[in-house]
Amino acid sequence: MTGAAERLDAQLTVAAPPVGRVKLSLNGVARSFGAVRALDRVDLSIAEGEFVTLIGPSGCGKSTLFNILAGLLEPDPGGTLLLDGAPAPSGSLLGRIAFMPQRDLLLPWRTVLDNAILAAEIQGQKKREARELARSMAAEFGLKGFENHYPQQLSGGMRQRVALMRTFLFDREVMLLDEPFGALDALTRALMQRWLLDLWSRYRRTILFITHDIDEAIFLGDRVTVMSARPGRITLDRTIPLPRPRQPSLLTAPEFMALKRELLEAVEEESLKAFAANGP
Amino acid sequence: MSGALRDGLLGAALFLLLWEGVVRLFGVPPWILPPPSGILVTTWAARASLLPAMLATGQEALAGYAIGAVLGILLAMLLALAAPLRRLLLPVIIAVNAVPVAAYAPLALLWFGTGPLSKIVMVAFVVGFTVFLNTLDGLLRVDPAGIALLRSFGASRLGVMRRLRLPAALPDIAIGLRVSTVRSMIVAIVTEMLGSQSGLGWTIYEAVLQIDFLRVWAAILLASLLSLAFFGAVGVLERRVVFWR
Repeated sequence: MTGAAERLDAQLTVAAPPVGRVKLSLNGVARSFGAVRALDRVDLSIAEGEFVTLIGPSGCGKSTLFNILAGLLEPDPGGTLLLDGAPAPSGSLLGRIAFMPQRDLLLPWRTVLDNAILAAEIQGQKKREARELARSMAAEFGLKGFENHYPQQLSGGMRQRVALMRTFLFDREVMLLDEPFGALDALTRALMQRWLLDLWSRYRRTILFITHDIDEAIFLGDRVTVMSARPGRITLDRTIPLPRPRQPSLLTAPEFMALKRELLEAVEEESLKAFAANGP
Repeated sequence: MSGALRDGLLGAALFLLLWEGVVRLFGVPPWILPPPSGILVTTWAARASLLPAMLATGQEALAGYAIGAVLGILLAMLLALAAPLRRLLLPVIIAVNAVPVAAYAPLALLWFGTGPLSKIVMVAFVVGFTVFLNTLDGLLRVDPAGIALLRSFGASRLGVMRRLRLPAALPDIAIGLRVSTVRSMIVAIVTEMLGSQSGLGWTIYEAVLQIDFLRVWAAILLASLLSLAFFGAVGVLERRVVFWR
């Protein structure tokens, strides 16, 4: 991990993300399951290379949104979903967006390298070539020397890095990360956040990142969006004007605190609503 | 593992010793229970006729086992992919399987004769069911989140089968294959008893008619050893293939 920290220091000159053209745009995307309305007219637009974080109470429909974006779930008719400016009907999104679910879902019969190349392999890439590429990236993902280990031999943080590597090797411009660090201890989580920012600044993928952790949402995001209690809707979309690269000391800076207070209020309001709706 | 093996062998030795002691101490007549030493002596003395019998039964069991295992796995894969077909066929398959195997054996003899073919068919039938049900269970019990992930990578249903369902079902398939080893021997022997010209089952049947109980026990001993070896070999293979369990 020290290697990653050193590289992070060396990256001090990285500029703020370019606000490019719109990569992904959702307009009135909704979804009901029978009588239950999970998503209620979600409007969200993400620019190319942007890092957007999404927070919301549990059961607010975040997973529903992610499944729609990954092409796994059909949205209700009426809304529009544009990828690169073109309408993207549900089925067409399969294989176009790199999706990383909450659990690492590593396959126990595959080594670290073979887990990392799973998506590339499905896309028809030659196993040997994919392995070579993965091998050359192992150090960057803190997996050097573990290439031929099996997932069950790794720590939680390492497993998440393998899952992230698999997502990166899928090589799609948009990445959906569903609470990737949710199960990690605080220290590992902080290291992983900085490491992810470092990686993102080099690869410049468009990222939508779900989290429960407001600190994490502010620390990582160009923008923080807040989702309402079910039925889910984006109730707050806040630009985070904090300069990059971001250092851990930022977490205690006054401007960080001010943002946190603002977002906490918004999230708390939604959590209370969710609590009132679902009962104690 | 070697510790467990040593304990197992020790247990078996003590059991045989106790058996020998009880038979000798109470003077149990050999037609009720012969001593292990007597069984061993008879086995050795009759090796010229017993070994070919063992070979015949082993071949029938192994051939039926291989055919049944392959067909069972293939059918399970087919029905895992085709849900409508599965809903149609599964109740019928389970109903056919619910009847004790021995009930079908006379029919097999009628259709396929008293040669090895009827035994191979019966063994394949039983092994096929066992492996099929275990495999299908494993193929269908795969984590839906994993399937969603592979689909998000653009995998087809066949791709999900190859890269996720089948390897994830290997532990279940292995259990089916392990249980089937013993069943294949049982079915081969039972079918031989009902009509055959060779094999350990036939030997037992014949020896009973001749009131040669030592020979019955000798055949049982060889059948047990064969069954145990088969079970052990598949177990060793399982631990190598399903290394992550």
